[in-house]
Amino acid sequence: MKRLFPLFAALLALGPLAAQTPPTEGWTRRVHPIPEVTVYGRRPLKEIGVQQTRFDSVALKENIALSMADVLTFNSSIFVKSYGRATLSTVAFRGTSPSHTQVTWNGMRINNPMLGMTDFSMIPSYFIDDASLLHGTSSVNETGGGLGGAVKLATKPAAAEGFGLQYVQGIGSFRTFDEFLRLTYGNERWQLSTRFVCSASPNDYKYRNRDKKENIYDDDRNIIGSYHPTERNRSGSFKDLHLLQEAYYNTGRGDRFGVNAWYLRSNRELPMLTTDYASDLAFENRQREETLRSILMWDHLRSDWKLGASAGYIHTWTAYDYRRDVGNGTMASMTRSRSRINTFYGRLEGEYAPSRRWLLTASLSAHQHFVKSADKNIIAQNGDKAVVGYDKGRIELSGSLSAKWRPTDRFGASAVLRQELYGTSRTPLIPALFLDGVLSKRGNVVAKASVSRNFRFPTLNDLYFLPGGNPELRKERGYTYDAGISFATGKADRYRLSGSVTWFDSHVDDWIIWLPTTKGFFSPRNLKQVHAYGIEVQANLSAALARDWKIDLDGTWSWTPSINEGEPISSADRSVGKQLPYVPEHAATLSGRLAWRSWTLHYKWCCYGERFTMSSNDRTLTGRLPAYYMNNLSLEKSLSLRRVDLSVKGTVNNLFDEEYLSVLSRPMPGIHFEIFIGITPKWGKKR
Amino acid sequence: MKHSIHTLLVAAALLLLGGCMKWDYGQTEEVTATGAGLFVLNEGNFQYGNASLTYYDPETKQAENELFRRANGFRLGDVAQSMTVRDGIGWIVVNNSHVIFAIDLVTCREVGRITDLTSPRYIHFLSDEKAYVTQLWDNRIFIVDPKRFEITGCIECPRMTMESGSTEQMVQYGRYLFVTCWSYQNRILKIDTETDTVVDELTVGIQPASLVLDCYGKLWTLTDGGYEGSPYGREAPALWRIDPERFAVEQEFRFRLGDTPSELQLNGAKDRLYWIDDDVWQMEVTARRAPVQPLLASRGTKYYGLTVDPVRGDLYVADAIDYQQQGIVYRHAADGELLDQFYAGVTPGAFCWK
Repeated sequence: MKRLFPLFAALLALGPLAAQTPPTEGWTRRVHPIPEVTVYGRRPLKEIGVQQTRFDSVALKENIALSMADVLTFNSSIFVKSYGRATLSTVAFRGTSPSHTQVTWNGMRINNPMLGMTDFSMIPSYFIDDASLLHGTSSVNETGGGLGGAVKLATKPAAAEGFGLQYVQGIGSFRTFDEFLRLTYGNERWQLSTRFVCSASPNDYKYRNRDKKENIYDDDRNIIGSYHPTERNRSGSFKDLHLLQEAYYNTGRGDRFGVNAWYLRSNRELPMLTTDYASDLAFENRQREETLRSILMWDHLRSDWKLGASAGYIHTWTAYDYRRDVGNGTMASMTRSRSRINTFYGRLEGEYAPSRRWLLTASLSAHQHFVKSADKNIIAQNGDKAVVGYDKGRIELSGSLSAKWRPTDRFGASAVLRQELYGTSRTPLIPALFLDGVLSKRGNVVAKASVSRNFRFPTLNDLYFLPGGNPELRKERGYTYDAGISFATGKADRYRLSGSVTWFDSHVDDWIIWLPTTKGFFSPRNLKQVHAYGIEVQANLSAALARDWKIDLDGTWSWTPSINEGEPISSADRSVGKQLPYVPEHAATLSGRLAWRSWTLHYKWCCYGERFTMSSNDRTLTGRLPAYYMNNLSLEKSLSLRRVDLSVKGTVNNLFDEEYLSVLSRPMPGIHFEIFIGITPKWGKKR
Repeated sequence: MKHSIHTLLVAAALLLLGGCMKWDYGQTEEVTATGAGLFVLNEGNFQYGNASLTYYDPETKQAENELFRRANGFRLGDVAQSMTVRDGIGWIVVNNSHVIFAIDLVTCREVGRITDLTSPRYIHFLSDEKAYVTQLWDNRIFIVDPKRFEITGCIECPRMTMESGSTEQMVQYGRYLFVTCWSYQNRILKIDTETDTVVDELTVGIQPASLVLDCYGKLWTLTDGGYEGSPYGREAPALWRIDPERFAVEQEFRFRLGDTPSELQLNGAKDRLYWIDDDVWQMEVTARRAPVQPLLASRGTKYYGLTVDPVRGDLYVADAIDYQQQGIVYRHAADGELLDQFYAGVTPGAFCWK
């Protein structure tokens, strides 16, 4: 049985209570040794055939002001659709819609059950210690419903010894203030951590409004001239606060306990469109949110089996207020929308390795949602007050069984069966099959392939929102295939080169889309059949260029046609065979870090290709958004003093001051700057 | 080492040359809306700011798209709701841009704009110096001075709050103006245009939107009946004939529960009604019963807008298709024969004859 211990050590490295990495210790030192190349024979059974992108701690902890939306934008090939700085940011994974990406935090699904999607601008990357993308089929290992894939987020014990403190402050353009504080305490058994992030800004960046013209009038109100005004981002302020408390206990006898509680409080204005002629003083358009995500975890580890259990609770309160000044400064409510979501979560999972060649797993998770949505206050026909909204609950069960088999060091196969039950509706068995094989030991060249079926249930808003919810909606159905090849080579402490190319092909039927009705509201329907396919490429190079010099380069590129292959709605329909709106066919990123002693220069670049806003892909002015390139640069200097580690970092975002749009009529900021100062006292440590 | 740094510099230079997003905004061109044609107002997608203006000349059968942007060098805005013509000026109400643009009807160039509106829906002119603007999410009808492009006052509507406020289409009958109250409402208001006050109201069915005045001086409105689950109630939609003199309902034509009638229009002689209810329907204003056969059957179409040529009697029906691409407008003869068709902008929803 002793031979199983390395196997389980590798398995645990993927779990939420897993290996203890020192993310904060090195914040001011930035020591990132070039890792050893993973030898093909040691590939974990859990990862057989899995197409996964993992984000290293450098990408996640690059600066305190980053959200996961920023991390995904510059470090992955998925398209992040941003409605502005510190505004709703959603992802399109392999040409699908935001609700086709499932997001888990420590194993618990955190997609909004009303909307189905996740706002990545609300997830500070400093709260995430382990993040990975599970592309397409691979998401079935983790959860159902990920027709595009899944984003897996987790926290980890801090590996602290004694007390630790880290404080970082950022001051930037548009009167932006970012604060980060982390307190840690750890010993052989306990690891405690408290993290706090606060970001605030009026966010009133200037931009040239090319969608408007201001008129110049004579005394008789005749227009005698006009010009594109330079405006400020109106109604864009935000104040976000996050608090994360973690406690982990390791019995040392194979049991680990963990508790995480993440509280967020957000108060954001919703920026006005570039085509809005209202005064931001006359209107208030504000969204507030308070969310508590908490989870209790237990892992019980034995030599050849493991049992895990977790229980969680999510409470989300959201308020949307649209008000206007009716004169004399009185703000009258035009829309007062409130929603409360209570989610209870439970998960049981077990793993059994009868030999080093086999791993059997089983899991069962439950999410019970209770949603109360009050969207509008009206006066009923009898004169009483009434509320437009809904009050619904839904149990969501998901169970899976898997068998992973590696008969030889060169070959592995894995089969997963998953089934889901949402309310009274269930999916058929969802099968997924994964294969991988070593083509060459030299260069660790590994080929992977997988295939799966998948389903996504309508969200609660899809079914019950008033007005427009459609209880007759069918669940979306999909098939995904992918195949790829990866390699990794290098020499420890000299260089490491790795890369992968993946081809994927997926079909989604009964795609749900919200469309206007003649009654003045929107309603969802199962309308489209979508064929998304393409290629994803990733590459990484780490090299020690010379003594004290080190370079890291990461690049991604994706080609993602996502084609409407449904029947034409009518003879006039020109959308069939066309790329879906807001899905770029090409996306690329490049991130480079050059380190010399205690200096680090970091350059990030991303490119999103042309996106269409119309289903017919018309190249009219508003029918397309041109491609854009984004460049960010930062320079950091670390200082190690006798009693404290210090760091100073300057960042320049949108280096070339590019005017660009991610979404029609949503202005984006030009060049802007931020300076960060970090302090980490060396309490009780060897100086 | 030297070689590596050199390579890095080259790579950085390539990034610099990465180019910037290409903008083709801001250019203007001379456009001309010839003849006595039809303006098509394309609503666009809510929050996209992609509303647009199309002009169609029935004589030449030529359609010109994106006229406003081409003439002015900037976008029309978000959710173009309605357009009204008065004295050679077109007044375009752009709902979610909180603005009404005044344009020259031939050059389509802006001649002025009214701002500071809440959520404007329609404009109705009482004189050269006075017009009313109805609104959604506001319990006030704004009074504006079209000459000065200014809001000069407002009319408070009874039994509405800002949140439940909704006034919609307007028809003038003598000194009185009748206004439908649509969203979560069931009334028609009667406003004295000399005193700018609501003097009476009439309860009809749930959510009256369209309002027209026929050749016999009768008002007609369509109620959509609300929707399933609405706390305001739900009922079968109906077509109502109202006597404006007595301000009383004269006749009610009930549809089936679940029907979705909208876009009530009159022909040039004002003796025939047209509306959309999946299909396109017509009825004499003197009819005793509602029709049982549509004039134009739906063919997978999403009919969204409707108008009748006041001179030729041709019928124009806008099909929004999937609401995410250029909609198409079908031109039919009065007997239903298809005469022409042209693509307009996204979600063509309102028409205005020059």
